[in-house]
Amino acid sequence: MIEPSLVYKALAYSSNIALMAAGITMIYMSTETFNFAHASKVSWGMYFVYTFYNFFGGHPYIYVPVAAILTGLIGVAMYLTFNRYLLKRGAGMITLMMSTLGADLILLALLNILADYLSRVHKLYSRQIRMEIYDFTVAGIPFSTLIALIIVVTLTASIHLFLTKTKFGIAMRATIENPNLAGILGINPELVYLTSWFIGGALAGLGGALLVFIMAGYPVIGQYLIVTMFAGSIVGGLYSIYGSLLGGFLVGLSEYLGIWWLSTLFGGKMLAYRQVIPLVAMVVALLFFPQGLGGIKWGKVAKVVRGERS
Amino acid sequence: MIELGQLYILIRYILIDFAISMIVTLSLNFELGIAAIAQFGRVLAVEIGAYVAGGLTGRILAYTIPELRQYSGAEYSNHLINFKLVDTINRTLLEHNALLSIGILILTLALAAIIGGIVGWLTSYPAIRLKEAYLGITLLAFGDVVMLIAQNYDPIVGATQGVSVPDPFRWARPYSFEAALIIALILAGLTFIFFEMLVRSPFGRALKAMRDDEVAAKVYGKDIVKLRTYALIIGSAFAAMAGAYYTMYIGSCKAFTYTRLTWTFWPWAFMMLGGTGNNVGIAVGVLIFVIVRTIIINYKTYLEPFVPFDPIWLEPMFVGVVIILLSVFRPQGLIPEKPAFTIKKRRIRSIIEIMRKQAS
Repeated sequence: MIEPSLVYKALAYSSNIALMAAGITMIYMSTETFNFAHASKVSWGMYFVYTFYNFFGGHPYIYVPVAAILTGLIGVAMYLTFNRYLLKRGAGMITLMMSTLGADLILLALLNILADYLSRVHKLYSRQIRMEIYDFTVAGIPFSTLIALIIVVTLTASIHLFLTKTKFGIAMRATIENPNLAGILGINPELVYLTSWFIGGALAGLGGALLVFIMAGYPVIGQYLIVTMFAGSIVGGLYSIYGSLLGGFLVGLSEYLGIWWLSTLFGGKMLAYRQVIPLVAMVVALLFFPQGLGGIKWGKVAKVVRGERS
Repeated sequence: MIELGQLYILIRYILIDFAISMIVTLSLNFELGIAAIAQFGRVLAVEIGAYVAGGLTGRILAYTIPELRQYSGAEYSNHLINFKLVDTINRTLLEHNALLSIGILILTLALAAIIGGIVGWLTSYPAIRLKEAYLGITLLAFGDVVMLIAQNYDPIVGATQGVSVPDPFRWARPYSFEAALIIALILAGLTFIFFEMLVRSPFGRALKAMRDDEVAAKVYGKDIVKLRTYALIIGSAFAAMAGAYYTMYIGSCKAFTYTRLTWTFWPWAFMMLGGTGNNVGIAVGVLIFVIVRTIIINYKTYLEPFVPFDPIWLEPMFVGVVIILLSVFRPQGLIPEKPAFTIKKRRIRSIIEIMRKQAS
C-alpha cells in the first residue's frame, strides 16, 4: 500500500514541475526561445531561500516570494542583455537556444561560487542543502504540498483572467499571435517580451524555492530537473500555458509515482532510472503527438464522451 | 617562472585534448554546419564509442586468453575482477607486442565507427521527422537516457565503478603518452582532410544545397531523407571513434565522464567560436578553447588563496560569456565560411579564359 507521505511529496513535486514547465512555455510562446537557463534559475531559487534564511533568520517560507522576484529579475536581465538583440536580428531558434545555454553556464558558475563562498567563509554546509525540517503540517497535510497546489490552481485561474479580461493580457496574446500586426496597433512588443521573461523566470524560481522543502538541494539540481521540465512543457504542447501546467503535473507525477511502482516490482535498483520516465514521455510526445495536451480539442472530446457525434 | 619540463607537459595535454576535441567538433560541424541537423546529442555517439572501447574490446581480448575466457561475459565489468583482468591482458598480450597493440587500437576504432554509424542511423528516425530545436531536444534526451543506463547497469561498463581499458600504448613505455599523442594528431589530421574532401565532393555540395534551401535541393532531385541519414551516419561514426580513442588514452571508462556538458555543449562552443561550416575555423576555435581550459585547470592553485571559491568555476563562466558574445556580435564565428572550390582557382580562371577566346 502506498504511504500518504509519499503521495503528498509526489503532489508537491509535480505541482512545482508544473510551475517550471509553465515558465518554459511562457518564454517559448512569446519569444520562440527554448530557455536552457531555466535549469540554473531553479537552483538559484533554492539557494536564494537558503542564503536569506541563513543570513536574516525568520521562517524560510517568507523568502519564497523574494526568491521568485529575484529569479524573475534574472530573466529580465537575460532578455535585456542578449535575447532582445537576437530577436531584433531575427536570429534562428538554434542561436536563441545556444545563447540561453551560455547564460546557463554563467549562472551555474556563479551559483557554485556562491556555494563555495558560503561554505568557506561562513562555514555552512552549502554543497547539499536540507531544509525539509522547516516544513510544517496544516490539518495533517504538509504545508509544502498545500501551498504548491494552491499556487498552481490560483495561477491557472489568474492566467485565464489576465489573458482574457485585462488589456495587457489581450495585447500579450495579440503579440504572440502576430508581433508585426500588434506593433501596428500600438502595442509595444518589447514590453510583452520583457513581461514574459519576468514571469517565466519567476515561475522557475518559485518552483525551485518551494522544492527546497521536499528534497535536498545542490548547485546542479536544475541540470537534472530540466529534463522533466522540458518534458512537461513539450507534453503540454509548447503553445499553451494550461497545457504545460497539466503536462508538467502529469510528467512529475508519473516520474515520482511511476518509479515508486517500478521499484516495488523490480526492487530498489530501479530508483536510479528515474529520469528515464520524463525522457521517454518527451520523446514519445514529440514523435507521435507533437501538438501535445494543449492541442487536444476538449470540446470534441466532451462530445464524444457524451455520445454525440461531431 | 615556469620550467621547461612543466611547459612540455602542458603542451602535451593541450595537443592531445586538441586532437580529440577536434575530431568531435569536426563531426558536429559536418552535421550542423554542412547538413543543418540540430545535433544536440553529440554525446550519444561519443559515449557509444567509449563503451565499445571500455566494454567490448576488453571482452574480445579476454575471450582469446583461455584462462580468462570464463570472465568475458557479464562478470567482465565487475570492478573487483576487472582491474586484475585488464592488468593480465596488458601484461601478457599488449606490453611486448607493438604490432598487436596497434592492431587492437585499429580494431577498436573500427568497431566504434561501425557501431557509432549504426547509432547515427537509428537517430535518423527522429531527424527526418522533426525540425530544428525539437530535434535538438529529442537527440539530447537520447544521449541522457543512454548515459543513465550505462551509469546504473553494471554489465555494460561497470556502472559507477567504471572499468579499466586495455592499454594499446603500453609497448612504447616510457613514451606511451607521446605515442598516444602522435597517433591522436595523425587521426585528427586525417579526419580534417577527410571532411575537407567530403565537403567538396558532390555529396557535400548536395548537403550544402539542402542546408541553404531544402525545396530547391528537392527540385534538383536530391533525396533529403537519404542525405540527412548519411550525414548522421558519417558524423556519428567519427564522434564514436573520438570517444573510443579518448577512453583508451585515459585508460578507464566511467559512464559519468560522458556528460552532455563536456561532449555536446563544449563542442558547440568550439564550433561557434571558430565559425560554423568552416573546418579551418573549427581548428582555430578548438585550439583557443583548449589552451584557455588547460591554463585555467593547471594554474587554478595560484589563484586559490586570493578568492573565496574554487577557480575551476571560471571555466564554465568563460565558456558562457564567449557563447553569448559570439551569438550577439559575431554569429558567423572568427573565420566565417567561404565558398569551397572543387578545383583550384587558377584552373577555373584558365577555363574562363578559354571559353572567352572561343566566344570571340
